[in-house]
Amino acid sequence: MAGNRTQIKIVGEILDTTMQEIDEHEGATVTHIIKNANISHGRLSRILSNLVSQGLLEQVNSKRSCRYKISQSGREFLSAYKTFREFSDDFGLNI
Amino acid sequence: MEFFLEISLNSVGFLVGIIIGAISYIGFKNTGSPTLFRLSIAFFAIGIGFGILAGGFILDDVIFETGDINTGISMLGIASQVVGYWFIAFSHTIKSFFPKSRYFRSIAVLPLFLVSFGYVETILRAVSFILLVYGAIETMIAYAQGRKKTTLFVAIGLGLLGFGEFIGWYSFVFPETILYVASIVMKIGGLISVGIPVSKIPLRKVTFDENL
Repeated sequence: MAGNRTQIKIVGEILDTTMQEIDEHEGATVTHIIKNANISHGRLSRILSNLVSQGLLEQVNSKRSCRYKISQSGREFLSAYKTFREFSDDFGLNI
Repeated sequence: MEFFLEISLNSVGFLVGIIIGAISYIGFKNTGSPTLFRLSIAFFAIGIGFGILAGGFILDDVIFETGDINTGISMLGIASQVVGYWFIAFSHTIKSFFPKSRYFRSIAVLPLFLVSFGYVETILRAVSFILLVYGAIETMIAYAQGRKKTTLFVAIGLGLLGFGEFIGWYSFVFPETILYVASIVMKIGGLISVGIPVSKIPLRKVTFDENL
């Protein structure tokens, strides 16, 4: 039975989504992040502003919509997150 | 011979515990994950516990020469290990282990005190055994869900540590038998098995926290 996702797991999924989109577009839209990370708009807004203030995400304002792209420190965080998620999985624990 | 085996076991335990603890702490500093924080406390406590025991045996071998480790040092080391095993079990949410009924909960703890005859060290070892078995079962369940080989190694490692503890009790009843050596070998094998996930950490690729 899958339990509730932790905050860090949600952040990991958000960063992963913005990473996936980077090749095709200049950042991911809020709608796309909501769909991929399976999170409500209200909660996502709080997390996004937090991630932007911490420098993990960069806000890109285009003509049509507001997009978010992952920063260099965001990439480093995501890399560390994935490494240590594997590590805690090895102990049968969720990060 | 006994001292050599004990010092070897406890030195391996100290090294494995501190290395896993340090990597978990680095993980906590990089990600802020509470799970990794609990894991770091667990393995630091286990490593320090083994270190205290190794120190106790070395001290007696070199200085006191009584032929046995000081009881206080021994209890301190075992108590530190129990704290570590408790944190591993706690991370798996220990609530699910015990039956929900208050009556069953109370009698589940009873055998622990019946077999221990009140000796604190024996109680601590019994608690260690229970926590190790619990940790091994929970990790085995996680393996059944995720099918990750390294999770299986951790489950086997915790199981070997618990089984080694169990065999160790029998060596008190049947001294001068192979049981004692078997217990030590099992525990060393368990520690190495628990340490296998460390080999998968790509240390060069991970950006460590600058303040660490």
